[in-house]
Amino acid sequence: MENKVDLLPVARPQSASPWKKISTRSRGLLVAVSLIPAVLFLAALSLLQLDFMSALLLLFLPLQIISSGAAGLILFGKRGIRDGLLIVVTLFLGSFVFVLLSSVLWSVLVAGAATLSPQFIYQNNVYVAPTTGLEIGGVGHAILGTLLVVGLTTLITVPLALATAVYLTETRGKSRGLIRTLLQAMSGLPSVVTGLFIYSMLILSGFSSYAGWAGSLALIPLMLPTVSRVAEESLRLVPVELRNGALGLGASAWSAFSMVTFPAAKSGLVTAVLLGVARVIGETAPLLLTTTLANKTNLNMLEGGISTLPTYIYGYVSLGYDTSIQRAWGAALVLLMVVGILFVAARIVSRPKSAKKRK
Amino acid sequence: MTTEIASAVPPRRKLSVKASSKADRTFYGVATVAAYSTIVLVVAIIFFLTLRAWPTFEKFGFINFVFGSGWDNTIDNPSFGLGPMLYGSFLIAGIGVVLAVPMAISIAYFIEFMAPKPIAKGTALLVDLLAAIPSVVIGLWGLSIFSPVGAHWGELLHNAFGFIPIFENDAENFQRTPFIAGFIVAVMIVPIIASITREIFSQIDQDLISASLALGANREATFRKVILPTAAGGIVGGVLLALGRAVGETVAIFFVLNLIFDEVNWFRIVLPEGGAVASLILAKFAEATADEVSALLAAGVVLFGFTLIINTIASYIVVKAQPWRK
Repeated sequence: MENKVDLLPVARPQSASPWKKISTRSRGLLVAVSLIPAVLFLAALSLLQLDFMSALLLLFLPLQIISSGAAGLILFGKRGIRDGLLIVVTLFLGSFVFVLLSSVLWSVLVAGAATLSPQFIYQNNVYVAPTTGLEIGGVGHAILGTLLVVGLTTLITVPLALATAVYLTETRGKSRGLIRTLLQAMSGLPSVVTGLFIYSMLILSGFSSYAGWAGSLALIPLMLPTVSRVAEESLRLVPVELRNGALGLGASAWSAFSMVTFPAAKSGLVTAVLLGVARVIGETAPLLLTTTLANKTNLNMLEGGISTLPTYIYGYVSLGYDTSIQRAWGAALVLLMVVGILFVAARIVSRPKSAKKRK
Repeated sequence: MTTEIASAVPPRRKLSVKASSKADRTFYGVATVAAYSTIVLVVAIIFFLTLRAWPTFEKFGFINFVFGSGWDNTIDNPSFGLGPMLYGSFLIAGIGVVLAVPMAISIAYFIEFMAPKPIAKGTALLVDLLAAIPSVVIGLWGLSIFSPVGAHWGELLHNAFGFIPIFENDAENFQRTPFIAGFIVAVMIVPIIASITREIFSQIDQDLISASLALGANREATFRKVILPTAAGGIVGGVLLALGRAVGETVAIFFVLNLIFDEVNWFRIVLPEGGAVASLILAKFAEATADEVSALLAAGVVLFGFTLIINTIASYIVVKAQPWRK
């Protein structure tokens, strides 16, 4: 009982990375150096009535750099100065992006919420002049138009893109490299060019007038690379052992794919489709060149004007009246909500299964 | 004895990768047809655009059309030259890239190396969300919210550095300038550069960074001497991809830029004169005559060609910069 064996003859270090340790004293110092310039800046701003942006760049940033440099000097010696500089510049630029992004989201939210009302969602614009008040008229027809146009695009593109992804991962085809390069090139295609393509192919040759289905076709080259690339990635993530196991048991290529690879990659494929829809649902330029705006609800994809949410926004911004821009904000909020829902859905679907709550 | 064993071993079977069953043949067939339809699509895009654009190239000459200046349809003998617009596209994209690169690298560094995990996750989500915002919404924001602010910044720059030709302005108006358009483009391409940079940062061997820190390098030296050189190739590729996107941007630039068709605004970025090929197509399309439509399609061909070149180089660099993939 007396000779207790020391199981830990060597004291293990408390932390695996000792350079990350920060003492209380230095923590206090760091808080102080980040607060002092901010306080000075706010005081100068309110007392001297300076211009915000120039004061931010000419007063706050130098002050912050000096104080952080001083803190670095005290804590880590000479080399700490540059560390302080790095941290200040990174945080400053990072928060600048954050402010820009919040400004975009916030303005759409505020201005859009002022416009949004139940009838704005379901009514169309038949009795609306550019200056008509917001009590009547809405984006109902544009929502339906978006659903139709993007729906047709999805119906055509998804089988094509998934089969292309299958070709790239499951077969030993000779042109995989070429097709991968082409998809890469297509993903950088300017959206206005695809609009011009369909315009010159269908409309200029008199094959069709401006119509919803032309718009759908114009969106295909934009959606195809997104869907097939994400699908390819997710098919590639399926372990080779699973595939080989199926083939080793005697399954044919088709049954190995449909019973093993496809179920394993299903969530990734759904994500691919959702991301593809989110990619094209806000595209404006191709639809402007292939469809015309309409005020009334049009469910005919083959002829007649058809409004979609992005072209609706474009049309009402171009009119330039206050109320018309107000309507555009409302439509922007609706569009952003749709994109947000798709985005969140893609995130939830693509989350690995083990991360979900276990029962 | 030996010969007996040799005859007992069955002859070597010929292994074949050819699909034997009907289902397999259909499976491979469908996949191959779909994959080849990609080639058909790209060829069709090039064919139909060039077909309709050919009269313009024939009439004005390719070089003259691309680099000549002046876009006038009101005179008897209309002349179309893309020079100012093409240069304007690259000027705006350049401004956008110069503004976006520091912001994007900072965000990526913050997410990968500085922030605690939950904050990093939230920021990454936010940046991805910014990438998903449609360009028409960014354009609306740029027109209504950002333009006055950007005009004010332009005026400040002019007041402070007006003696430098870049910030010259004799129009007394700071709205609708290439500077503002460049800023809008920067907002759109920051997420692209940031997500590629972040991916490259996250794939850097963690031991490399730990080793640098353990050798006594501080964070700044680690960033400058270890992280940045390792990631440089990928960042350059990401920047080029973003450049391709910026050159092709249409609606947002159309909202916030004053298009001047007949002379090149070489460098005066706070002057309300600029150009952009994609916006030109949108601006002139509605009231175009047959001649002009052909010229606009030719502009589309030129735009397509330039973005294709940029993107091909970019994806080549991105792949080269990640030798650890595959």
